[in-house]
Amino acid sequence: MHAVFFYLLAAFILFSASFVVTAHNLFRSAMGLIAALLGVAGLYLLMDAQFLSAIQITVYIGGIVVLMVFVILLVTDVTQKLFQQCAGWRKGIVGVLAFLLCFLMSSMMLAYQFHPPKPVPAKSASVEDIGHALLSPNRGGFILPFEVISLVLIAALIGAVTVARSDEETQEAQKS
Amino acid sequence: MKGLTLDHFLVFSTMLFSLGIYGLLTRRNLIAMLMSVELVLNAAALNFAAFHHYLHGGDPAGAVFPIMIIAIAAAEAAVALAIFITLFRHDKHLDVQHADTLKH
Repeated sequence: MHAVFFYLLAAFILFSASFVVTAHNLFRSAMGLIAALLGVAGLYLLMDAQFLSAIQITVYIGGIVVLMVFVILLVTDVTQKLFQQCAGWRKGIVGVLAFLLCFLMSSMMLAYQFHPPKPVPAKSASVEDIGHALLSPNRGGFILPFEVISLVLIAALIGAVTVARSDEETQEAQKS
Repeated sequence: MKGLTLDHFLVFSTMLFSLGIYGLLTRRNLIAMLMSVELVLNAAALNFAAFHHYLHGGDPAGAVFPIMIIAIAAAEAAVALAIFITLFRHDKHLDVQHADTLKH
């Protein structure tokens, strides 16, 4: 049963991901990205990782992709095919290379037998475990990366606002 | 969970990764390239989750890393999109073949 869901989701994700990388209209590409991310959230659910699935939907789709859609609407005329396509022969070469990469990497991963430190039944971390791990200063805790990430986020957001400001706004701010 | 193994997820995330790389190399629009990068990041996060689920019996470390990846992706998207807006205001296009300067 799980396997059936997996194959359906995988086909759905690959279909929408190929839409993301080939669609001529940027807005449609963004919709494909939403579909692909939803599919990956479904895969997380299939692995019993409900928290990751929820984060994927709220932060990724609700935050990042919506931001991208806003920027797409700001910078392009979505009714036109504004952006140039890459030459056909280059697409062919890159396609062959990407296929080779996929083939080599998956055969490498299948050939290598991953062994756990000790065999354990397949299960996922509960929300409680993740919360404790994120905020624990002890061994196996991630309080330092957690704080560093929050600094990175605030720095990135301040940087984004500074960079995206127009010259007139900067001049007005300097005057007052 | 019968029938599904770690290998399924590894092969699938490799496919997603390759698709993202393909998009990154063929697209000429900066926003489209950023979207391809999101696919690559997703493939990586999926691998972390798969290893944590199938090999390490739910060690929370494997669930923390996808969260970190998503946070980094958010920071990256914010900065990149801000740069795109400035570039567009300056050049009126977002074509990588012609965007050869970030200075005024």
